[in-house]
Amino acid sequence: MANLKEIKRKIKSVENTKKTTRAMKLVSTAKLRRAEMAARKSRVYAQKINEVLSDIAQKINQYKIGGIDSRYFDLKDTIDKVDIVFVTADKGLCGGFNIQTIKQVQLLMKEYKDKKIKVRLRAVGRKGVDFFRFQGVELLSSYVGVSSSPDYEKAQEIINEAIADFENGVTDKVILIHNGYKNMISQELKVVDIVPIEEPKSTDSVSLSLMELEPAEDETILNSLMKKYFEYNMYYALIDSLAAEHSARMQAMDNATNNASERVHKLTLAYNKARQESITTELIEIISGVESMK
Amino acid sequence: METLRLEIVTPDGQIFADDIKTVTLPGSEGEFGVLPHHASLVSLLQTGIIDIELVNGDHELVAIDWGHAEVDETKVTVLADGAVAIVGENESAIAQSISKAKQLIESISDSDIAIAMAEAKIDLILKQRKY
Repeated sequence: MANLKEIKRKIKSVENTKKTTRAMKLVSTAKLRRAEMAARKSRVYAQKINEVLSDIAQKINQYKIGGIDSRYFDLKDTIDKVDIVFVTADKGLCGGFNIQTIKQVQLLMKEYKDKKIKVRLRAVGRKGVDFFRFQGVELLSSYVGVSSSPDYEKAQEIINEAIADFENGVTDKVILIHNGYKNMISQELKVVDIVPIEEPKSTDSVSLSLMELEPAEDETILNSLMKKYFEYNMYYALIDSLAAEHSARMQAMDNATNNASERVHKLTLAYNKARQESITTELIEIISGVESMK
Repeated sequence: METLRLEIVTPDGQIFADDIKTVTLPGSEGEFGVLPHHASLVSLLQTGIIDIELVNGDHELVAIDWGHAEVDETKVTVLADGAVAIVGENESAIAQSISKAKQLIESISDSDIAIAMAEAKIDLILKQRKY
């Protein structure tokens, strides 16, 4: 009989879990819709600003336009120090979402270490921060609470620190890693070299004529454009990551709900079997009791 | 006829993307027009109106607050912070988008001249339009 009670308790507990995961899934679905909209809206802009900057990079490198601080565009072979800025979620329960990003960061760290290049980490999001703290890896700076509610000013703050170090020659490269939104059911890891700015991958669609800058007398235009480029890339990484986080959580919770249903089904079968068994035993007992009385 | 690819994007999404005849942009050093085969250029844009001549000869207007334009032989990319397209099916919709555009310009620009210029430009082109 004890067995019966135990199974019943288990069924109840699994059902409660199921309710929770279902609720979490619904919440994520609702949040995803909003986050996805925001990500989709800003995606075009992020793409375009990257295109424009890589066009400019290509031209600057081709024509060696003087007077411009070419550090931003100088794709030199020897680098000593790299900054990795990576974005994870503040919360867990979203499947492999965070761990994918973390693994990518570790992979890059190892690659650079093998090349004797120093790596510094700037972590955004509690999960990434906690992971590397636990591992005893030093984080240069960590930001918690930004991933769940991205805003432009925070993004500015984060990226400008990294860029300032680059500009002062402390670092030679800044890489931005985040797990981005691909569609409702999948995420895509994105690794972007923020500076030095890369040239376009294919050159067929690129115009090769010399480029003029207006106003021409100073570097204001390039500086303002680049500032926008850095900040927007960071901001977009935050928004995109948030959308991806919700889609990952939605999926994880959906799986959890399905698993719970399956488990309840199995337990119910076991419960019925146990009940039948106990009835049979009781019957046998009664019958044998009656038999012995005869 | 040769055309030019124009794309206007803002952080809130794409405002315009089409092949066009010519476009006039409010550069920070003054207004400039772009035709196909224009020399490569990157320019700062100031508050004002982008005047687009479509392939069919119609004009379309987009108000922007601030941004950058990248021009090369075949395409023009405008990266603006805020932009409002002045379009609409009927006059009331157009009037609505005009007032939105004026709001956008007034919200960002502190110079009366820029506001006045933009408004004059809208009026001028609307008058030339045939409805």
